[in-house]
Amino acid sequence: MTQAPSLSLVKRALSAHAAIGLLGGALLYLVCLTGTIVVFYEEFHRIEQQDAPEMAEVDPGAVQRAVEAVLASEAGQTPTTHLYVHIPVADLPRTTITTDTQAVHVDRDGTIAAPEENGWSEFLLALHYTLNLPVLIGITIVGILGVMILALALSGVVAHPRIFRDAFRLRTRSKGGVALADWHNRLSVWTLPFSVAVALTGSIIGLATVTGYGMAAHYYDGDIEALYAPIFGGEAEADPAPAGIPNVAAALRHMQTAYAAVEPTYVIVHDPGTAGQHIQIVAEHSRRLIFGEYYAFDAEGNFEGTAGMADGAIGQQAAASTYNLHFGNYGGLPVKIAYFLFGLALTAICATGTYIWLGKRRRRGLNEPRLLAAWDGVVWGVPIALTATFLARLAMGNGAPFTATFWLLGFAIVIANILLANRYRTRRPLQAAFLLAVIASVAIAL
Amino acid sequence: MGYPLLWIAAAMAAGGVALLRLSWGRPKRSPTLNAAGWAALALAMIFGWSDSGAWGSSVTALVAMAAAGLALGLAGAQARPGKAPASNARVRMLPEGSEPRRLLGRSLTFLLVIVAGLFISIGLAVVVRGLAHAAGWGEANANAFALLMMPFLWAVLAYAILIQPRRKVQWAILLGSAAPVLLVLATGALR
Repeated sequence: MTQAPSLSLVKRALSAHAAIGLLGGALLYLVCLTGTIVVFYEEFHRIEQQDAPEMAEVDPGAVQRAVEAVLASEAGQTPTTHLYVHIPVADLPRTTITTDTQAVHVDRDGTIAAPEENGWSEFLLALHYTLNLPVLIGITIVGILGVMILALALSGVVAHPRIFRDAFRLRTRSKGGVALADWHNRLSVWTLPFSVAVALTGSIIGLATVTGYGMAAHYYDGDIEALYAPIFGGEAEADPAPAGIPNVAAALRHMQTAYAAVEPTYVIVHDPGTAGQHIQIVAEHSRRLIFGEYYAFDAEGNFEGTAGMADGAIGQQAAASTYNLHFGNYGGLPVKIAYFLFGLALTAICATGTYIWLGKRRRRGLNEPRLLAAWDGVVWGVPIALTATFLARLAMGNGAPFTATFWLLGFAIVIANILLANRYRTRRPLQAAFLLAVIASVAIAL
Repeated sequence: MGYPLLWIAAAMAAGGVALLRLSWGRPKRSPTLNAAGWAALALAMIFGWSDSGAWGSSVTALVAMAAAGLALGLAGAQARPGKAPASNARVRMLPEGSEPRRLLGRSLTFLLVIVAGLFISIGLAVVVRGLAHAAGWGEANANAFALLMMPFLWAVLAYAILIQPRRKVQWAILLGSAAPVLLVLATGALR
């Protein structure tokens, strides 16, 4: 009995692998690249606004004063539905308050210091999450790309019967496409756990909304909040009657005394200034994959209970673990660096896949300079356009047109590359332009 | 040094990769070394889990992948120039020469895998949720499990369709997958 798949299955799996990879092509590459860079989301925040006040911790009284100041600054406007206080943590030691209409940094004493300016980091995150499209469409497409990576992993394993025997065979000095294929296959094999983990979690996050609509339609009469309530906890009944400022300080002090081992990361005030207002504190648990536990308080800061992210049903804990497992923010800088490197590997796998396909066609006598130039344009144009948006942030400030800059420049590079295909090989100039842009970015940012 | 179990897990993860490297680098495979390598990796994951659950296993897996990356880097650095020919196998993504473009057929494949696949996978998630709840799982577990399973089911469905060379078999797979969904939706079962 042989355990190797039949040659026919291998061929069909390879065809399926190529079909999925080429269909996803540029979008897969874009999502993998932005996901790799966005691992350092918090660090980019600090680079973007280097003069924002930083602190290792903040006093609950200062948070209370800041909440009162922010709500007072919005008096007379449409009341915010939620108010978020980011509590300083090691990755991002800043206190920041966000409402429906503004975001401000807060000083140690609770005074409002300055508006938050992290436009580029938010642009990068939105590009990764939604491709800058309307949220439901964009996040669903990104979720579909996650499914494609899963299918690529499955078909890739089946398409390579010698996958384990050749696992350490990297013929970097061979020519004619051998080295390229080895890089693609070896990186794919050894980053398989990472690729499957980020693809599965990414597709779960991306497709949860459309899947949720389907499940809610059948089981909850279309009420999607009712579907999620058993997992993440439900929203309390709103009561728009006016009320005083919620006692955030009391809630934070309760956390300091009753839950000293956990680290609060966010305070969320629901419907502030109304009789239905209530407080949630999100706190990280050390050496856990969950993004945190929700600790619920009433408006006076009296503790009411937890949602069960940390110790509730296994489904709650699994759902709460998808975010950190996807973004790699569960082990400080070492895990972030590991995610960055493995993310680069996954990005390189996407890039080399199409080059391998083009190389095979060329070896069969099909020389296609325009297709090759288009792919060169994608592989090098995307990072150039991304770096250009970062340079725009440094040169023009928070209001720079990031989305327009990225997409227009990206498309322009691909189209120019195609037009020049029969006259010049532009890969080296593109690589040089990318290198120069990165050096300029680092020099200006530091 | 705190967390000794996690350090042991990390060491076993790196050691397991090293054993596999040793085994697979030999002219003839060694079942003993192979087994030792895989066993070390499995034990590493168990120790990581014992130390701190899913977090420990995730960190251990990162160590194993980093160790493999190092071994791979060494293999690449020590590689000699070779003259082995690269593959030029066809995957039939584009027509060659005077072959027909088959635009309609290719578009239909796309529709089957992406559009029909999306709706059937959502439907399968509905079925999975209902079955899990009917089996006694709580709402949180049933809902979360269905949300987690949906992309996995779709990936398997996409793969199963794409490796079939005959359209009839592709339709059969799709209809077979859709059957439990249609049954549940038509009868309102599992509510």
